[in-house]
Amino acid sequence: MMSENKNNINRRHFLKDGVWATCLAGLAGLGGFLLSKLKKNNTVWQIDPYVCVACGNCATYCVLEDSAVKCVQVYEICGYCDICTGYLEPEANPPDTGAEKELCPTGALKRVFVEDPYFEYNVDEALCNGCGKCVKGCTVFGNGSLFLQVRHDRCLNCNECSIAAACPSQAYKRVPANEPYLLKKMDHA
Amino acid sequence: MYKLKCRLGIINIKYFIGILIGMAVFIAVVAIIRLDITGDKGSGLGNEYLYEIDLSVDPNLILYEESGESMKTGFASTHAIALDSQGLMYIAGDKAVRIFTESGKLLDEIVLPGVPRSLTVADDGKIYVGIINHIAVYNRQGKQLASWESLGDRALLTSIAVSGSDVFAADAGNRIVLHYDTNGNLINRIGGKDEDRNIPGFIIPSPYFDLVMRRDQLLRVVNPGLHKIEAYTFDGDLEFSWGKYSTSIEGFCGCCNPINIAVLGDDSFVTCEKGLARIKIYDPEGAFVGVVAGPEQFGVTAHVCTTPEQCQSGGFDVAVDAQDRIFVLDTIKNVVKIFTRKKAG
Repeated sequence: MMSENKNNINRRHFLKDGVWATCLAGLAGLGGFLLSKLKKNNTVWQIDPYVCVACGNCATYCVLEDSAVKCVQVYEICGYCDICTGYLEPEANPPDTGAEKELCPTGALKRVFVEDPYFEYNVDEALCNGCGKCVKGCTVFGNGSLFLQVRHDRCLNCNECSIAAACPSQAYKRVPANEPYLLKKMDHA
Repeated sequence: MYKLKCRLGIINIKYFIGILIGMAVFIAVVAIIRLDITGDKGSGLGNEYLYEIDLSVDPNLILYEESGESMKTGFASTHAIALDSQGLMYIAGDKAVRIFTESGKLLDEIVLPGVPRSLTVADDGKIYVGIINHIAVYNRQGKQLASWESLGDRALLTSIAVSGSDVFAADAGNRIVLHYDTNGNLINRIGGKDEDRNIPGFIIPSPYFDLVMRRDQLLRVVNPGLHKIEAYTFDGDLEFSWGKYSTSIEGFCGCCNPINIAVLGDDSFVTCEKGLARIKIYDPEGAFVGVVAGPEQFGVTAHVCTTPEQCQSGGFDVAVDAQDRIFVLDTIKNVVKIFTRKKAG
């Protein structure tokens, strides 16, 4: 008799506990799901400039017609070179800075005289397509002050970024939305 | 008859659905095959977007050959190489100076308080290390003998040369050469822009600024932004200079080259360029003689850089021993390569 009662109680408890466990698991799952959504919403795509190899894929793999990736200039690192290898074709005769000698196929990099023999280089974002050609020239010979970044006034922040999937050096990463840019620092120059 | 039509109709619909599914599978397979999810097929940009320069060096110009295996330094990052009169190698990297035998055996390590950017070993065996903005002096046993006054936050000491009781340090941050005595007392500043003395000033876009002392008692200082090597007296007078910008083998290319130099026994110069990693020889008057090693000898082939390490790497350093062998510190792979002159014929 005792044994029967005990079994009944156990069964009832089992069912009761089962319902509770199911509810708790559901709540945990819902919480996890919401947390992951919240976390995903608080991160954005960005390019690690120290990993990027300026392959050119950013110009063509973005789902936007005009890529969300643009070249940026960190003036603190720039050498303000007369013979800027991000601006001029490698074989160019240095005093000849005519358009045909410019490295950028879209003319997005602008050269401004500062003082002899220094020049400032600015990116015209409307013309830049994120191909990275200037990045390559600047990084190889110069200080690497020109590099690519995802501009968040343009980026759709796709869940699966098509450029990230096509990035050969895995330079794309998710970064906190409140710190959306990965800028180079002076100590790396 | 009716049943047969229905059956045929059913059969036709089944066939139709089957064909649709087959086509969908076929299209999906083709799409997956054509889909470039890794970017291996390249950007698809035209030739005008390619950044390629001619890395080849005429084999007839290469006068040296690598001897032996590359020597691993064990550092994660390296900055400078020096040799002492006994042929021991001193490598500055991470936060230490490591001392190796010629065969690559590690003898000692001197742990430093900061990152060393330059070093030299004086004839008396004292080791002068440029630790960002100040010079520290050590003995062979690793004991610190002196730590000279800091030159401030802007300073970056990228080269040191010792000649008797004179010490010269190249400060890339302040674009000046500092002349000290061996006790660390500042004697003079050399190379500041001075139109009255016809001194153009140092143009140093990148943190590479080297100097060497020659037997003629003239200090040779690289002015990388002008692609020249300038000769200064101890008093700071500019005597002459040589070097020109060119992507051809005779000149120095890029924004700012050469980055490092060394002197051979016959007073010829060994120059080291970044970007296009080229080690070349110039005679004492600055005329091009030949090539020690080109990009291919350092494993750079079709492109200027294709890996983050190559793209972010700095320039190589170079040193010469008493037998005129050329020691190149490869700062990408953090190894030392030794080059010897090819035998004639």
